[in-house]
Amino acid sequence: MSVIRYMKTHEWFIETDDVIKVGISNYAQGELGDIVFITLPDVNSEYTAGTAIVELEATKTIAEVYAPFDCKVIEINLSLETEPELINSDPLIEGWLFKATINKPVKVGMNEDEYFKFIS
Amino acid sequence: MLNRTNLFNRLKKYDPKFIDFNGWDMPISFEGTLKEHMTVRENAGFFDVSHMGRFNIPTDNLPILNTIICGDLTKKSNNTAMYSMILNQDGGIIDDVIIWKFTNFLILICNASNTEAVTECLTQKNLVFQNINMNTSLIAIQGPEVIRKLENSFEIPLSFECNEQFSIIFSNKIIIARTGYTGEDGIEILISHNDDIKLMDILDEKLIKPCGLGARDTLRLEASLPLYGQELNESITPIEAGFEWVVDFDHVFSGKERLISQMSSGDHKYLRKFVINERIIARHGDVVVSQDTHGVVTSGNYSPILKKSIGFVMFQSKPDLDIIKLKIRNKLIDGKLIKGKFIG
Repeated sequence: MSVIRYMKTHEWFIETDDVIKVGISNYAQGELGDIVFITLPDVNSEYTAGTAIVELEATKTIAEVYAPFDCKVIEINLSLETEPELINSDPLIEGWLFKATINKPVKVGMNEDEYFKFIS
Repeated sequence: MLNRTNLFNRLKKYDPKFIDFNGWDMPISFEGTLKEHMTVRENAGFFDVSHMGRFNIPTDNLPILNTIICGDLTKKSNNTAMYSMILNQDGGIIDDVIIWKFTNFLILICNASNTEAVTECLTQKNLVFQNINMNTSLIAIQGPEVIRKLENSFEIPLSFECNEQFSIIFSNKIIIARTGYTGEDGIEILISHNDDIKLMDILDEKLIKPCGLGARDTLRLEASLPLYGQELNESITPIEAGFEWVVDFDHVFSGKERLISQMSSGDHKYLRKFVINERIIARHGDVVVSQDTHGVVTSGNYSPILKKSIGFVMFQSKPDLDIIKLKIRNKLIDGKLIKGKFIG
């Protein structure tokens, strides 16, 4: 069963059959404030774990989203190009950022309880 | 320990996010900066700006005060407000201030970060003054619906006696000024600590919502208004900041000779506004790489009205071209210098 996991850098991901869907946590969107522009990766581009893959521009500051795994982007959330505010209003569902394939599913990150303890 | 305004606990009930703003524990947003921005543009919102420095100065000190500000307060009528700048001997801006002029006293309002510097200026000139931060609150209520919503809320009917921009009235221990820092209509109220909660109750009752410093910053930028510490500082003159209109050369004031020299030679820095069509924000410190002259972004953010990235850039000398290239996080981005205001 796919469960949500969180990184210390506040990304969430859900892995299903070597495909990850990635976004940022509700806590992260709250800290960033209103997101007004987003730079998403190109489909088919490849990233190594821990490298910047998405750039979020908020009124307050700029933030990077890091790849949780070595991965190859297969889909991006095009709605965010015109409605970046979806990341603020619904970071876990409508505000997802990209999907990517991964080679070796290794257990990284924290489960929801661990993450909530981490941010509290 | 950060400073807190008298209304801190009241504002905390709205559950805002707080930031350290120049040593003050201030709300940066309540329901989100963009939402608050649009509330002020389309309806009405309020800001607790009690962190700003406030001085009560007897009006007989006006001739001395007039020597450290670049505007001529003697030409202003009583019961009006004047935006001005306190200058050093080189014409650099020690602070930009608003002065409310009454028959018997003046209220000078300065930036929170410059309260000490302004106190020093007033002291050096042997002015008689009283810092009134400890017993008053300052609330900015801004937006096109403010007057309609509040006109019957005070003993003073706003629509009759405070009907022009920059007019002010003093009655029953509160001062209401038709001033603000958002580019919208609205008022600023100076009120005793004893009564500020009552004012909050009125604002709640009228569904006028609290707004944070985040929206205050996007609103002032979109309204083409400078911020001290960003566009203005002690090495920038009003001429360089494009504020010739606040200078009255008919009176004697600190730094006057430098301003006259800059006006005649044109040899000085230039503050300009830019718009970016790409989906990226130029931030404070980003540089212009395309011009012969060096340029640095002083403020940049998103304009919710234009739905574009906008900002101010300070050039070391007059820029030749209207199209600039900004270096933003190692990307070269086109910007366009504009004349006039971003909106309005």
